Amino acid sequence: MPGMKNSTINLRDLVILVADQNSYLRRVVNGMLRGFGANKVLEVEHSNGLFQALSSQKVDLLLCDMRLPPHGGLKLTRTIRRNSDNENRTLPILLMSSDTSESTVKNARDSGANILVAKPMSPSGLYDRLGWIVFNPRPFVDTATYFGPDRRFKIEGYPGGVGRRKGDKIIDVAAEEGPALDQSDIDNLFSNARSGQE
Amino acid sequence: MKKNNYPEAKLFYADTRFERQARKPGGTERKNAIEKAQAAVDDLKVDFGVWIDEEFNILNAALAELEGDPRDKGALERAHKSCSQLRDVGGTMGFQLVTFVARTLCDILDAYIGGSPYDKEVIACHMDAFKLARLEQYRHLQPEDVPEMTAGLLRVVELASIVPPEPGK
Repeated sequence: MPGMKNSTINLRDLVILVADQNSYLRRVVNGMLRGFGANKVLEVEHSNGLFQALSSQKVDLLLCDMRLPPHGGLKLTRTIRRNSDNENRTLPILLMSSDTSESTVKNARDSGANILVAKPMSPSGLYDRLGWIVFNPRPFVDTATYFGPDRRFKIEGYPGGVGRRKGDKIIDVAAEEGPALDQSDIDNLFSNARSGQE
Repeated sequence: MKKNNYPEAKLFYADTRFERQARKPGGTERKNAIEKAQAAVDDLKVDFGVWIDEEFNILNAALAELEGDPRDKGALERAHKSCSQLRDVGGTMGFQLVTFVARTLCDILDAYIGGSPYDKEVIACHMDAFKLARLEQYRHLQPEDVPEMTAGLLRVVELASIVPPEPGK
């Protein structure tokens, strides 16, 4: 994650909500955040607790497990983003997942999450993703079908400069989950590569 | 030019309280913040051995129930939950091999959820791998440091994930 090495983020007095059914993981993430300087970290173990927390106080940052029971992080993210009356609609959402296949990462991005962090997490990995949200803010897009951080990407073209040929036919193939992506590939899928904002 | 029926997309910067506050001076410098966070993780390592043994026992019990009745969805879900927890935390706490073994076992349990036939030998070899990965002399190793075990488990996942066709199809 370039540009993060010397960045300092100030988490003091920010209300950070950690949502994961794994109590040990919540303790670990809580410990990391407090190490970063956070002093108001809340924990919930399921999505009902999450919505209760969001409705009872102002939350500044949400770290949510992709498989948070019973609804799952994707559905929760969409719910938070799509409700136009919701004051948490633009809440920064960081999804945590051990499944880092390309399809999962794209689903996370398309749900409106700001970033996805691969589990197991490291302190530097988490710090840099938080810094990325702070120092590389993406504009929000509000359309009839999507509300969330801008997902547009620069089209790099086909590998090796080979384009589609006139005689090539489009065929339907089965969905491919693909291999697990590492954190830098995940970051790239979330990066806003629009002109001048790479 | 043909116009679509959708209204124009609105584009705006939210500039949330998180972004505003996090940019303010007075934060913990990156290197220092990461060291403090790592120290907090290290403090938790003291009781991680206890937690991992408890979780291993829960997993073992759920898998024993599954062996008694491979169609027991509750046992399968409990085993998957416990295995996922081991997978998600192991690496952070310095138990890299535990995360690797848990990841392959989760893949197998996912395959069982998807309809692959239960095979007690597959489960048994993973539980043996867990016992090895839990040992002090193995826990810091990466999967590439134990290539035979890694290749073996990945091959087991490959074979165990095959869903046989339904009769007549």
